[in-house]
Amino acid sequence: MDPMNAETPDKLSAAVRALDARAAALSAQVSPDRVASRVLERLKREGAVEPRIWWMRPAALRAAAAVVLLVGAGWTVSAIRQHSVQTAARLPVSVRVDSLNAQQLEAVLQAAGEVRAANFAPVTSSNGSLDSLSEQQLQQVLASL
Amino acid sequence: MGLPALAAEADGELIARYLAGDEQAAGELVRRHTAALARYMAAQGAPAEELEDLTQEAFFKAFRALASFRGGASFRTWLLAIGGNVLRDGRRKWRRRQVVELSPEIRDPSGDPAEHADAGWTLERLEEGIGKLARLQREVFMLRAQQGLEYSEISTALGISEGAARVHYHHAVKRLMAWIQ
Repeated sequence: MDPMNAETPDKLSAAVRALDARAAALSAQVSPDRVASRVLERLKREGAVEPRIWWMRPAALRAAAAVVLLVGAGWTVSAIRQHSVQTAARLPVSVRVDSLNAQQLEAVLQAAGEVRAANFAPVTSSNGSLDSLSEQQLQQVLASL
Repeated sequence: MGLPALAAEADGELIARYLAGDEQAAGELVRRHTAALARYMAAQGAPAEELEDLTQEAFFKAFRALASFRGGASFRTWLLAIGGNVLRDGRRKWRRRQVVELSPEIRDPSGDPAEHADAGWTLERLEEGIGKLARLQREVFMLRAQQGLEYSEISTALGISEGAARVHYHHAVKRLMAWIQ
């Protein structure tokens, strides 16, 4: 064993030397001839060359893992988005419409419209004002959200 | 330090002979490196009763992968790196020895009993500490501290940069010193 150098504290060097001495004593019990014959026997029995099935190669396994991660991540993101849109769209409307004034109704409709803007046509009445809608019509609009 | 150039060349010739179908060359390589490999594995806590099996397993894996040996490091260093992998797998199966037996070199009855107790405690703590190091820290430390290899050879064997090997060694020393204080 090479002497420990200056980068290793003395106490650690001494402990490693003691560890190595014990390891040397243990390794002396291992018979090189016995190991050699067992290794050769096993190489004959199981083949001297490691089987290289293409899909077991590290590169193939890495590529497969990357594909699985990409598909999984894409699916998860898609599912989360879909879930959030559906959840937002199905929020129960528990406010009585007649308790809101026109300005509040517009604010509600605008907020709802931001969630599902792509799926809805602009909410307008014939004269462009919510004031002209009846309570029933307003409830229908809100229920449709 | 690594092996002398003459021995390294001889290893290369044996490898070439084995790859050409000469089994005896493999036997010679095993006989030549068994002691060093077993010693390396034993120092990392391989149980005595499994040391021969682990040694055999490392040689078997090495010969099966011999075609991929590029000769950047010596055969022995490459073999020790494979031994490290075998140990890593083995650690999941066996538990560290509960009783640490001191070798005759350490168990000197002529000295101060308190010093012996302290040395035994330190050795036990060192072995525990080595087992708790991250894999690369442990392997770099053992290849450097026990086998006396240069960083360049360690980096080639483990597939890391020389700078990374130095950093791993530094951290390993720091952690082990804290462990044995």
